[in-house]
Amino acid sequence: MAYYELIKNFDRIRDYMREFYLYGFKSRNEYTRKSARSYDDERRRVESWLGDYMSFRQTPEGKNVFLSIDSRVSQHNPLYAAWKTKSFTDGDITLHFILFDILRDPDTALTLSELSDRIDEYLSGFEEPKMFDESTIRKKLNEYAEEGIILREKRGKTLYYRRAGYAQLPDADVLDFFSEAAPCGVVGSFLLDKTPPHADRFAFKHHYITAAMDSEIICSLFTAMGEKRTVEMQVIQRRSDRTTESQVVPLRIRVSVQSGRQYLLAYVPRLGRITSFRTDNIISVRPGEPCEQFDTHRRELDRMIPRLWGISMPVSADQPPEHISFTVEYGYHESHIHRRLEREKRCGTVEKLSENSSRFSADVYDTLEMLPWIRTFICRITAFECSNREVEARFREDLLRMYRMYGLEGGEGE
Amino acid sequence: MIFSELYSAYYNAVARILKEACAHPLSKAELRRIVGQEAFGESLLTIEPAILDERWQLLNADGTTPLRHEPTMPLTLLQRRWLKAISLDPRIRLFPDLCPEDPEAEPLFRQEDVDVFDRYADGDPYEDETYIRHFRMILAAVRDRQPLWIEAVSPNGKENHYIVTPELLEYSEKDDKFRLVCHGFSHLFINLGRITRCERYAGPIHYPEDPPATPKKKTVTLELVNERNALERVMMHFAHFEKQAERLDDRHYRILITYSEEDETEMLIRILAFGPVVKVISPESFTELIRERLRKQMKLQDGLFAPNIP
Repeated sequence: MAYYELIKNFDRIRDYMREFYLYGFKSRNEYTRKSARSYDDERRRVESWLGDYMSFRQTPEGKNVFLSIDSRVSQHNPLYAAWKTKSFTDGDITLHFILFDILRDPDTALTLSELSDRIDEYLSGFEEPKMFDESTIRKKLNEYAEEGIILREKRGKTLYYRRAGYAQLPDADVLDFFSEAAPCGVVGSFLLDKTPPHADRFAFKHHYITAAMDSEIICSLFTAMGEKRTVEMQVIQRRSDRTTESQVVPLRIRVSVQSGRQYLLAYVPRLGRITSFRTDNIISVRPGEPCEQFDTHRRELDRMIPRLWGISMPVSADQPPEHISFTVEYGYHESHIHRRLEREKRCGTVEKLSENSSRFSADVYDTLEMLPWIRTFICRITAFECSNREVEARFREDLLRMYRMYGLEGGEGE
Repeated sequence: MIFSELYSAYYNAVARILKEACAHPLSKAELRRIVGQEAFGESLLTIEPAILDERWQLLNADGTTPLRHEPTMPLTLLQRRWLKAISLDPRIRLFPDLCPEDPEAEPLFRQEDVDVFDRYADGDPYEDETYIRHFRMILAAVRDRQPLWIEAVSPNGKENHYIVTPELLEYSEKDDKFRLVCHGFSHLFINLGRITRCERYAGPIHYPEDPPATPKKKTVTLELVNERNALERVMMHFAHFEKQAERLDDRHYRILITYSEEDETEMLIRILAFGPVVKVISPESFTELIRERLRKQMKLQDGLFAPNIP
């Protein structure tokens, strides 16, 4: 099949973009799951869409392709471009612009046959005018009615079609900001495409742009939450490359602004409990039946939240939490360390023990999740206790490994 | 549905082409320029022949169009629902022009559908009237390149005054704070939450001959061993930096990250968070910063752990 810049299905490009952007060390030969032809086509597409960000490196294994994007410098998420690449037929685009030209005025309402006649008039000037039969036009109008841009109204037995009313766009500053800072920001980017060119007044720090690739999944999950529905999801296990089907009740999207990951927290009837799914592992979402217990499950989740550090969910809300505490010391001019504890803790309490020391303590379902944060206080930790002895041992062993790794403890490096 | 041709770069490019063609017959050169601006690197290879060969029957051979009006399309339900959702975000109040009312649209998401769980707790006060007033004044000043006189309190409680030309507003999702990026005498960043007074400045400005340098870019090279899913965690965690990764063998990887000099301490503690699965290889000055912290920790080691640890 000839190469075409646009694509019909987003799934494959979602995988490639993730590989190129997140990793970027694989050579062409390693994309073994797909054909070499497929790889060449996808690489060429990404290069066409995001050429400015695409880089190459020659290695003994071959040429590596990667996307290198400093999201602090890019004031708009470049990955949104991928969402603007849906393919269409010659008829789709011709019909689209002619239909909206005929239905220019929101008060103009026409029947299918009136529209068909008017379309023929528009096309009559071409050497070989396209012919659209009424069923094709009806199908397109129904599609547009689903999208909310065409309204259908019955007068007697006859169906009339007219365009939806004009809706006003907010100021471009609003769109510039929320297209980067709100969930499903790509929709804001679509709206920005409708605005005149303007100077950007916002920049973004600590800005994870990869979530953009999950926008369709997140959007479907939001819709299900709004309608209090179950969904059928296909989820990939990355390590085994296996795909499983799950029926779940989506309850909340839990977003990390420190790791760049997003999770779905959902009640899984098969397990009888709430669990988490990485959204980038969800391949598809299909709406299911309404769930009468939605509010009950959400209340249960709300009860669990104060004992969650990250996304490790308990077997039930009654599962006893683990206790953890650590103490840090700091100098007289380092009071910001106490403020750091206050600012960065997500649960638990911080006590000021003296002018120079503070203690954090918490009861959470999974204390292992807290170790990365606690390690950020290395050089100040004077006490550490955890009711989970394995976690305590892990913390100690990791510290000893770090000493060795950096040639401390007698200079023995790893 | 988000992935739809309605939002595609091709539809946008063709809308621009038709808008121009409604005004005057379009030349090939104009068509090419518009496609270059609105679509992608290779889009011209598709769009130009599709139009000129009349497969997309929208432009006549003489560059005119059978369309009678500039193309327009109403907002889709998805767009209206997203706008409704952001109209419920507390940060919307920062902007002088609120989202237009749309009572018929259900929000795509509500605040209770999303939980940002690791955002710092001392974010900016988006509902505080003084903060909102400062934000709006600064946003307008960024637009108009209008100098400002600003009074702000430092973290140590010291009052500072600045005369600055605002450049940008920078938002950190992690800190949930806005900073004003500006040119002035010596300070490039001012936290909006620390501003106590903000006024338009019309007096003379005498900036120093050597303007304050923008923060220098630095690099750090990490080597990681892929245990505990470290590769994926590290690559995601540092995804927002400019970076390059290289595989050394089946378990070891080397990653070069470029960061801003002002963020060195933050970078240091973010690397420490990964513990023994990530090692700083270079520069030596950065390695020494890590070593220094570890040395201090070693000194505190006595009594750190409960005695009954196996």
